[in-house]
Amino acid sequence: MRPDARSSRAVLKRAGVPADFETLALGEVARVPAADVIAALKALKDSGYESLIDFDGIDTGDDITLTWRLRSYSADRETYVRTSVAYGAEIASVWNVYPSALMPERETAELFGMRLAGHPNPKRLLTTDGVPPLLLKEVPIRTEEEVKAR
Amino acid sequence: MSDPRTTVTTPGLLAEGTHDPGTPPAGIKRAPTGVDHLATEHLVINMGPQHPSTHGVLRLLIEVDGEEVVTVEVSVGYLHRGIEKLAEHRRFNAIGTLMDRGDYVSGIHGETAVALAVERLMEIEVPRKAQWLRSLAAELNRIASHLVWFGTFGLDTGGMGQFLYAMRDREAILDILEAITGQRMMFNYARPGGVVADLPVGIDEKIRAFCDTFDTYLDEHHALLGGNEIFQGRVKGIGIIDAEKAFAFGLTGANLRGAGVDFDVRKKRPYDAYPELDWEVPLGSAGDAWDRYMVRMGEMRQSARMIRQLIDGIPEGEHTAKVPKVLRPPAGEIYACVESSRGETGIHLVTDGGDTPYRMHYRAPSIFALQAVEDIVPGHLIADTVMMVGSTDVMLGETDR
Amino acid sequence: MSPTLAVIVRLVAVLGLMLTNGVVMIYLLRKVLGHLHIRLGPMHVGWHGLLQTVNDVLKLLTKEDLTPRAVDKVLFFLAPVVVFVPSLMAYLALPFSEALRATRLETGMLFTFAVLAIVPIGILMAGWASANKWSLLGGMRAAAMQIAYEVPLLLSVLPIVMIAGTMELGAVVDAQAGTWFGLVPRWFITDPLLWPTFLIFLISSLIEVNQTPFDMSEGESEIVAGFASEYSAMKFALMFLSEFSNTFVVSAMGVTLFFGGWLLPWAPDSWYEAVPALAPIVFLTKAYVGVVLLWWIRGTFPRVRIDQMMSLGWKRLIPAALAMILITGVVQKLLAPVLYRAVG
Repeated sequence: MRPDARSSRAVLKRAGVPADFETLALGEVARVPAADVIAALKALKDSGYESLIDFDGIDTGDDITLTWRLRSYSADRETYVRTSVAYGAEIASVWNVYPSALMPERETAELFGMRLAGHPNPKRLLTTDGVPPLLLKEVPIRTEEEVKAR
Repeated sequence: MSDPRTTVTTPGLLAEGTHDPGTPPAGIKRAPTGVDHLATEHLVINMGPQHPSTHGVLRLLIEVDGEEVVTVEVSVGYLHRGIEKLAEHRRFNAIGTLMDRGDYVSGIHGETAVALAVERLMEIEVPRKAQWLRSLAAELNRIASHLVWFGTFGLDTGGMGQFLYAMRDREAILDILEAITGQRMMFNYARPGGVVADLPVGIDEKIRAFCDTFDTYLDEHHALLGGNEIFQGRVKGIGIIDAEKAFAFGLTGANLRGAGVDFDVRKKRPYDAYPELDWEVPLGSAGDAWDRYMVRMGEMRQSARMIRQLIDGIPEGEHTAKVPKVLRPPAGEIYACVESSRGETGIHLVTDGGDTPYRMHYRAPSIFALQAVEDIVPGHLIADTVMMVGSTDVMLGETDR
Repeated sequence: MSPTLAVIVRLVAVLGLMLTNGVVMIYLLRKVLGHLHIRLGPMHVGWHGLLQTVNDVLKLLTKEDLTPRAVDKVLFFLAPVVVFVPSLMAYLALPFSEALRATRLETGMLFTFAVLAIVPIGILMAGWASANKWSLLGGMRAAAMQIAYEVPLLLSVLPIVMIAGTMELGAVVDAQAGTWFGLVPRWFITDPLLWPTFLIFLISSLIEVNQTPFDMSEGESEIVAGFASEYSAMKFALMFLSEFSNTFVVSAMGVTLFFGGWLLPWAPDSWYEAVPALAPIVFLTKAYVGVVLLWWIRGTFPRVRIDQMMSLGWKRLIPAALAMILITGVVQKLLAPVLYRAVG
C-alpha cells in the first residue's frame, strides 16, 4: 500500500528536487533550496515518511537554517530536510503536507523574526506583540536597562 | 440536515427541491436569503488560562453552538521563559536545571535528553551503573507524572475520589526521589557523564516496599476510576486520534501508542539501561481517550516492573564518568531523544566548540498533542473538550518553554 | 397562643433549623469528603475544626457584596431569593414526628417536590442575570435538567401514594409501622416491589440536589462554577445554603417515604410517648445517614455528560417510572389481598 520509506537521496532524485546531501552526526540531511521545500517534503511524505517530528531554526550568523525532521514509522527511519533563508524572509507553510508544522512554524517565525506564508492562523504563539525575535543572536538576553540595573 | 435557506419543501414562488441562491456579484458578501429563524447564534467562550481544567495555563478559545463546540483555538505562551535562549547562555552542566522547568512534572527525562546529547557529541563512555541509576529515577518519575495525570484526568470528569489517592502514591515516590536526587521536583540529577550522586544507603528497601504496595494500589486506582461505568461512558469513543491523525500531527508517546502504533523511544532508539530490561509496550487500538487511559495505566505497571529489575540489578561501579568541570563538546550537531512521560522529548543541540551551546532546540511532545486537540474537539460538547485536553496529557511548561 | 404568633414561631423555628442545619452539614461534608479522600478536612479552628464553618459564615457575612457592572441588577438580586425561599419552604411539610412539624399538609409530598422544583428557576435567573457565558451555560443546563427530572421524580413516588393511600407525609410514615412476619420492619424499602421505585427516586433526587454525578449546572471542571460564578458574599452563601438544605430535604423525603420516617424498627408505640424527643432524633439521624450516603456518591463518582443524563432521564427513567406505577397498581389491586391473607 504505502511504499517503504527509503533514503531521501533516492526519493528526492526521483522527484526531481535539487538537493545536496550530507551525513552528519545528526543523520541523513538533505539540503534543498527554500523554494523547493514543499516539493521535497511532499515527495518524502509520499515515499513513506508519515510524520513530521520536529521543526526548528538556527541562526547561523549569515542566514537562518530551518530543519525539518521526518520519521517513517513503517520503516523506522528518520531523515532531515534543511534549507537556508535570509533574515526576515518568508517561510512557506508546509501544513498542507504535514499538519504538525502548524505550531512549530508559528513559533519559529516569531522567535526568528520571519514572516509566514500560506499559514491558516499566522499569529504569534509564545510571546506578545513588541517582543523582539528572541532566538536571533543579535537580541541580547537582557535588555540594556536590566544590565544597568544589575 | 439540509439548509432551510436553500431547500424548498412547500412549493410557493419556487418549485420543490434544492434551490441555489446563486453567487453574489462582486462587492456583496452574501446573497440576501433572509433570516433563518432556526439558526442559533454562536457564542465564543474563553476557556482559561485560569480555568480549573486547563492543566496549568492553557487557554482555549471555543466557539459553541449551544453546548456543542464548533471551533477551538489553542492559545499558549503564558509560561514562556525562553528556555531555548537561556540555554545558549548556560554551561552544559547547568542546562538540566532549565529542562526541569520545562516539563516540571517529570524533570528527569528532559535532563537525560540533554545529558545524552552532550555525551554523544563528546563521545563520553557512561558507566553502566550511571545508566541504571538514570533509568531508575526516570521510571520512578514516570509513575509520579502519570499519577498526576491520572488524578487530574479524573478531576476533569468531575470525580474527586481518585485524586488524593494518586497524590498519596506520588508523595511516596517524591520522597524516594528526594532521597536519591536531593530534590522533589527540580532534580538536576542526570548530568553529562552520569548522575550527580550514588544511591543513598537503604533506599533500595524503600523502593522495593513501594513497588510491592504500588501494584495493589494501581489496581485500586483503576477500579475506582476506570471501573466506573460513568467514567467509561465519558471516555470510550471520545476524542479518537487514529494512527493516520497521530502521524499527521506528529504525536508521540502514549497518544501515539493509544492508536496502536508500536513506537517507544526506549525500545526503538534505546538509551541508558532500557535494552537490558524485560518489559512490554502497552498498546491501544482505536485511539480514543479510553485507549490512551489504558496505555498510561499499563505504562505505570511496566514502570513498576522495570523499577524492580533496576533495583535488583544495579551494577557495581562509578556513578559518573570522569568528565572535565567545564564541558566543551566539539563543534557539531546532534539530536537526542528520550521517552518522557508525555512522549518523545528531543534535544537538538548545535555546538561551536565553546562551553555553552550555540543553539539548543527543545522538542516538546505536548505542543504536538495540542495541535491534535484543535482537530478532535469540534463536534463534541464542552464537557468533552475538557476530557480531550486531559486525555492527551499536555504539560504547559514544555509547550511554552 | 394566638394563631399568628404560632405561625411566626414556626417560621422562625424552620429558619433556625435550616441555618443550623446548613452550618452542621457544611462541616459534615468537609469531614466526610476529607476522610473519603484520605485527608482530615478542617482541623485547626476549634476541636477537629468544629468552629471552622462558623468562621466561614462570619467571613461570608462580612465580605463585600460584589455586583458586576454588566449584570441585570433586579434579576441578579432576586435569583438568590428565588433559590433560597423554596428551599426554606420545603421544610414545612417534613414530619419530624407525629406532632413535631411546621404544618400538616394533606398534600405534603406533592408540596415538597413542587417547591423544590422552583429552585432551578432561580438558578436559571442567576445564570441569565450574571452576564457571564459560563453562568448562562449553567443556567441553561439547570433548566434542561429540571424539565427532564422533575417528571420521573414525581412519578417515582406515586407507587408509594398508591400503597399508602395518602400524600400526607405523616400518614405515609404510619403506613410503614409494624413488621413483616414479626421480623422485618414494614418500611417501604423492605418491599421488593418498591426497589426499582427507590432506585429511580435516588437517581432523580441526586439530580434534584445538583450533586455529582449530576452537578451539571455547577460542573466545576467544565463550566467553572456555572450559575454561581459571579456571586459573592451572602448572595453566594444563600445559594450554597439552599443546595445543602435541598440535600437534607431530599434525604429526609427518602427517609419518610422509604425508611419509615421517625420509626425505629421493632420499637413499641409506648417508647415514642414516653420520650417525645425520640422520634425527631431518629428522624434526624436517619436523614443524616442518607445525606452522608449521598456525599459518598458525590465523593466517588465522576460526572455524567449532559446528553447522557438527558437520555437517561427521558429514555429510561420516565418509562421505568410509568411502568412501576402500572405494576404497583396491578399488584396492589390483584395480588396484595391474596398475599396479605397469606402473610396474615
